Amino acid sequence: MLDFLRFGIEWLPALLKGVPLTLALWVIAITLGCLLGLILCWARVYGNRLCYWISTVYIELFRGTPMLVQMFFIYLGLPHVGIVFDAFTAAVIAITLNSAAYQAEYFRGSVLSVPRGQMVAARACGMSKWQAIRHIMLPQALRRVIPQWSNEAIIELKFTSIAYTIGVVEITAIAQDIGSRTLDFFQVFLWAGLIYLVLTSTVASLLSWVERRTHVPGVTTN
Amino acid sequence: MTDDLVLDVRDVKKSYEGLEVLKGIGFGLRRGETKVLVGPSGSGKSTLLRCINHLTPPDEGRIFLSGEEVLEKNIDAMRARIGFVFQDFNLFSHLTVLDNVRICQVKVKGVAADVATERAQQELERVGLGDKASAYPAELSGGQQQRVSIARALAMDPDVLLFDEPTSALDPELTGEVVRVMQKLASDGMTMVVVTHEMSFARQAADELIFMENGYIIEQGPPQQLFSSAANDRTRAFLNVIAEHG
Repeated sequence: MLDFLRFGIEWLPALLKGVPLTLALWVIAITLGCLLGLILCWARVYGNRLCYWISTVYIELFRGTPMLVQMFFIYLGLPHVGIVFDAFTAAVIAITLNSAAYQAEYFRGSVLSVPRGQMVAARACGMSKWQAIRHIMLPQALRRVIPQWSNEAIIELKFTSIAYTIGVVEITAIAQDIGSRTLDFFQVFLWAGLIYLVLTSTVASLLSWVERRTHVPGVTTN
Repeated sequence: MTDDLVLDVRDVKKSYEGLEVLKGIGFGLRRGETKVLVGPSGSGKSTLLRCINHLTPPDEGRIFLSGEEVLEKNIDAMRARIGFVFQDFNLFSHLTVLDNVRICQVKVKGVAADVATERAQQELERVGLGDKASAYPAELSGGQQQRVSIARALAMDPDVLLFDEPTSALDPELTGEVVRVMQKLASDGMTMVVVTHEMSFARQAADELIFMENGYIIEQGPPQQLFSSAANDRTRAFLNVIAEHG
C-alpha cells in the first residue's frame, strides 16, 4: 500500500498530464459523433430510400468492424491514397465515425419509442415535418435516450485509450512510457486504471444529474 | 350557396389496399354549425375526418375551407385553420399544459410569446383548467387531457374544429366533463364536425346528424327528426341500439 502511494506521489503528476488530451479526444469525438449520429438517425427514420440505405450501410459497416482496425485504416491506410492525418486527428476521426454508428442506433430506438400520435398531432396543428421533429419528437427522444447515451459516452471515454496504439500521448501512452522506465507496470497501470475510473464515474454522475434535471413525468421514468 | 360554407367536402373517396372505405362523400358546413357523424364502426367516419385535413390524404374528391381548396401544397397552412381533437388526446408529453396550448400558436402562426401565453391561459380557463397550466399531461386525468387538447385546438382560432371520437378513450365517469365543454362550444357558435357515440351530445348540440355506413352517407337531417322518424331502416336500427346503450 505504501509502495502504491509512494509510486503515486512520484508519477501521478506525469500521468495526469495525459488527462487533458484524453478528455479533448473524448469530448470532440463524442460531440461530433452525436451530431453525425443524429443525421444518420434522421436519414434512417425519416429519410427517403437512398438516405435510408446509405445510413444503414454506414451503421452496419462501423458496428461490424473493430475500432482498432478503423483507426489503423485511417492513420496507416489512408496515407497510401494520399490522405494523411496526424495521430490525434486520426484518433478523433476514428472514434467519431465509430461512435456515430452506435449513437445513431440509440437515437433511432428512442425516436421510434415516442408514440406515433405525437408526430400526427404536431402535423395536425400545422407544423411542418421538420418543425414536428425539432419541437416535438427530438426533445422527447433525447430525454429518453440519456441512459443508453451515457453508456455509450463512457465506453467511448475508455476507447480513447486505443489511440495510444497510433502514438497519441494520452493517459495509457504515458503509463506505458512510465512503465518501461520504472519497470513497475503493476503500479503504473493500477494508477492509470484509477484515473480512468475517476473520469468515468464523474461522467456517469454528471449525466445522471442531467437525466434528473430533464425528467418529465410521462416521457421518462425516474 | 357554396360560398358561405366554412367546410365544403365534395365527393371524397378513399381506399386502403383495394378496400374502398369512403365511396364518394359530400357535405357542407356553415359558420356556427355543428354536425355529428354517426354510424357503425368501420363505416368510414374517422377516415372522413382525417381526409378533411389530409392526415389521410383522400384519393379523390375536393375539400374547401372557407372557399379555399385544401391541397397537399398548402396543407400546413390549412391545418393551422382546422382544429383536430384526437380520440387519445395526443398532448405533447414533454410540454406543460400551458406550453401545449402555446406551442402551435408560436411555431406555426408566429404569434408573439406573451400574446400566446395570454391566449393559452384564456382557453384553459374556457375548458375549466386554468389552474393546471404548469402540470404535465401525464399528471392529468384522461378527461382533463382531452379538455387541454380542445384548448390547444381553440387557441389556433380555427375556422372549424374536428372531433374524432373525443370521449371513446375515456372512462365513463370522465366523458361528461368533455361533452359539457363541447356543448358549450357548440352553443357559443363554434363550427364543428364531431364523430361520436354520445347521443346526448348529438341530440342537444347537433344542427344535423349524418349517418354513415359502408363508406356512404345513408341519411342526414336534424337529430330530432332522425331520432324519431329516420327514413332509413338501418339508420333507425343503429340509433335504437345506440340509444339503448347510451
